[in-house]
Amino acid sequence: MSQPIAQTTTPVAGPHPTETRPYRQSLYEKSYLPLLGGMLVTIRHFFKNIFGLNKSYTIEYPEERRDYSHRFRGHHILTTRPDGSVRCVACFLCAQNCPAECIHIEAGEHPDVNIEKYPVVYEIDMLRCVFCGYCVDACPEEAIIMSNNYDMAYFTRDQSIVGKSDLMKPYTFDENLLGYRPSFPEEDVKRAQMRRGAFDLVAAAKQAQANGG
Amino acid sequence: MNKMFGESWVTTTFETLEDWAQRNSFWPFPFGTACCAIEFMGTVSSHYDVSRFGSEVVRFSPRQSDVLLVAGTINDKMAPVLKKIYDQMAEPRWVISMGACACSGGFYRSYHVMQGIDEIIPVDVYVPGCPPTPEGLIYGILQLKEKVVRDRKKLAARSAQGRPEKETTGAHAGSATA
Amino acid sequence: MPTLAPPPPETRVGYDLDAVRAKFPAGSITTQEGAPWPTWIVRREILVDLARELRDNPATRLDLFVDLFGVDYPDRAERFEVVYNLYSLPFHARLFLKVAVREDDAVVPSLVKIWKGVDWFERELYDMFGLHVEGHPHLRRILCHEGFQGHPLRKDYDAARRWILTEDKIYKPHFDLPDGEDDLFERMTINIGPSHPAMHGTFRLMAVLDGETIIASDIEIGYLHRCFEKMAETHNWQQVIPYTDRLNYCSAFINNVGYCKTVEKMLGVEAPPKAVWARTILSEFSRIMDHCVCNGTTLVDAGALTNFWYMFQIREEIYGLLESVCGARLTVSACRIGGLIQNLPPDFEARCRTLLTMIPPFIKDVEDLVDKNRIWLDRSVGIASITGAEAVNWGWTGPCLRASGVAYDVRKAYPYDLYDTVEWEVPVLYGGDVYDRYRIRMLEIRQSLSIIRQLLDRGMPEGPHIVDDPHVALPSKDACYNQMEAMIYHFKLIMDGIQVPAGEAYTMVEGANGELGFYAISDGTGKPYRLHCRPPCFPIFSTFPQLINGGSLSDSIVSLGGLNVIAGELER
Ligand code: SF4
Ligand code: SF4
Ligand code: SF4
Repeated sequence: MSQPIAQTTTPVAGPHPTETRPYRQSLYEKSYLPLLGGMLVTIRHFFKNIFGLNKSYTIEYPEERRDYSHRFRGHHILTTRPDGSVRCVACFLCAQNCPAECIHIEAGEHPDVNIEKYPVVYEIDMLRCVFCGYCVDACPEEAIIMSNNYDMAYFTRDQSIVGKSDLMKPYTFDENLLGYRPSFPEEDVKRAQMRRGAFDLVAAAKQAQANGG
Repeated sequence: MNKMFGESWVTTTFETLEDWAQRNSFWPFPFGTACCAIEFMGTVSSHYDVSRFGSEVVRFSPRQSDVLLVAGTINDKMAPVLKKIYDQMAEPRWVISMGACACSGGFYRSYHVMQGIDEIIPVDVYVPGCPPTPEGLIYGILQLKEKVVRDRKKLAARSAQGRPEKETTGAHAGSATA
Repeated sequence: MPTLAPPPPETRVGYDLDAVRAKFPAGSITTQEGAPWPTWIVRREILVDLARELRDNPATRLDLFVDLFGVDYPDRAERFEVVYNLYSLPFHARLFLKVAVREDDAVVPSLVKIWKGVDWFERELYDMFGLHVEGHPHLRRILCHEGFQGHPLRKDYDAARRWILTEDKIYKPHFDLPDGEDDLFERMTINIGPSHPAMHGTFRLMAVLDGETIIASDIEIGYLHRCFEKMAETHNWQQVIPYTDRLNYCSAFINNVGYCKTVEKMLGVEAPPKAVWARTILSEFSRIMDHCVCNGTTLVDAGALTNFWYMFQIREEIYGLLESVCGARLTVSACRIGGLIQNLPPDFEARCRTLLTMIPPFIKDVEDLVDKNRIWLDRSVGIASITGAEAVNWGWTGPCLRASGVAYDVRKAYPYDLYDTVEWEVPVLYGGDVYDRYRIRMLEIRQSLSIIRQLLDRGMPEGPHIVDDPHVALPSKDACYNQMEAMIYHFKLIMDGIQVPAGEAYTMVEGANGELGFYAISDGTGKPYRLHCRPPCFPIFSTFPQLINGGSLSDSIVSLGGLNVIAGELER
């Protein structure tokens, strides 16, 4: 570098204020009297709460649960066909679109010739997942959706890698617990039915139970 | 205690009491750094009110707390700090790792982010989510509670078999120095 | 009483870049053609003089130093390019300077003597690219830790290569204390943080105390450096959106908007009216939320806990709204390039209206509690004050700058979305202290509410929530099922990502902390070549030692809250 750094700097003159004008307390404010006004606010809240005039804001989780919308991005669900088999065709789009690279799929040939492939292994590392919903956006088959189930906790890292069976676990298939999924016009009956495909697993599981005794 | 009274009614009752007190009153040390810390604040504020589970006493001193709640990304610069704080905590101590970042690094597979705090300290409960909802976190705390009870029972069973108590510090035996 | 000042003049009468240009030898400045903003490519030798001239010449007055960052082009002979972003408050004009340097002579001169705010930016340049900044008073790493080797934003640095920090390498401050006083025994050096609640869990303050008074201080950051910019380079354009959430996580939605606008500009698409409408409303709600969190925590730091509950109550309600739109409370990822994540829920307007009636009482409660409260006044008035001229020199923007009497707001200066179609004002206060920073946020909340109210009265525009362009937005699932073409587009968009044409863009939005800008460079592959975020609180926080020196230690805690430093954004 040849250019020496100049040692002096001119003070910045500009249209900007060069001094501050802080707030000036009035005599009344200096007297601490306004504190009483503040007290009144808390006292008002206190009595309102005591006599139940305010609705209580506290949610008594786990007995009571907050109403999350039907877009909540929680635990994933792999949806199923009416026969209870997994709908996913192992196209890897979800894994490709996942910013956390937490989806692991191994594809296999499906016995049914009409369906090309199916996932032999489908695992999501729940501890990597950032619940962004990109996998749902990516899936062309609506095979992966999300539930609004947030009760998750693991004791080891291995537990957190959930496989097909966990993702298809019937307990998540309460319609009220459905979360983020592709949107489509509500009145579209055909699509609504498809969405219910998820619940067919419950029926299938019950059927199997009945058969098996 | 044991020395004074031996295996008597006093000690067993005392242990039950201690057990009960411990499991119903975790004093967390919130090691909050990032977005998850904001959600942790949500958990202690009026809407979710974690004090209903006896964890309202948020202690910012490692000596006085028994649960280290790591909320947020821990990067390599922060790692020695976290380790130090963990080392300062008195036994028994537990660790909850809140959020994808603390658990595994989340989607930050990058040059400055630790890929999970279990690289340096043992973790008892991992709570996934980014960030976990306050309910999710409370669920995690409840899970820890159960785990403590379970470990206690295991511990009791083992000491009944005459094993020395030292070897089984329960929940966090093992990789503390890994 | 607050004065509601008019926005900066939109005129540029008298602004004349050529007046400056004529003073320098021909050939040392070339104008870059086709750049998104007026850009000069400058020879390194004249940079310092040019910068001073640009700042002081009455024809340019580029007094606000906005941003500085580097770009690495390994294939070019002059491998590194340093970009300076300047803004003229009097003339409302912007100028970019670019300086290219070779790898074997990777040195740029420091501009610290001209703009104080440039200090940390230059350290970041050194940290990330290994460029030596000549004349910088204390050039050392800022974001990465001391045990780090290499310079991560260079293209040949592997994004996942980590280094371990050992205890002995941890930074130990060195203070240049005034000599002469031989009372060293009375002085005490203390360290607060990083894991200390008063430092918000991520900053480290080292201060030399004389009794209660801070005589020298130093701060260390980087405890939340998460490599946003490098991560952006390894993901495709759409995938960057979740990362932007985690910049300023108190108002994640605004980050989404800022980033998406940048990419939309490069693509030449425009979000449909409905998306723009919703973006404006949700941005304002996010701003309210951010201001609530900031004021709430500041007051907690000063000991007023009750307000925290009230403020957080507002926040919870806004979370509810955001969650109904996108499914997450905090890290929303609610924008997509070209629009929104999904169509707005049917009860969107009703929910917004409920919020509008709900928020004012809470605000009023807080104001009743503290506005005239002597204890709060004593702790905040005149604390950590800074004049407008100084703040500009430090590169401040946003509410903190406006609390010092300078009415710069991106929403007025460069209106985007619907801000020029609604009536609102920029509140300005002149105290420049903690109290006025608190007050200005309260005033801005009211302005935001008024903006939202006007937009709601206008009604939700009809139409789609995202552009109908198969090269940008995923086709609807229905189309996917029924049309082969849509399916192919879907497949291509996911596999290759959005193809952003080569070029550069810089757009900014008014974040909750000030000007939040994204400078994106695309080389035509599916990923950003370089994405730089202009973090508003970075220059603000670099002023912190100066603000607290001479004050008492307890005041420094309150000052930090008032600046609203969000670590995710500060360190990215
Ligand atoms: S929600 Fe996001 S991070 Fe999680 S699996 Fe899906 S794409 Fe990956
Ligand atoms: S995108 Fe859908 S169909 Fe394809 S692999 Fe993923 S879940 Fe299966
Ligand atoms: S897990 Fe998600 S929300 Fe939590 S700190 Fe990491 S990025 Fe932030």
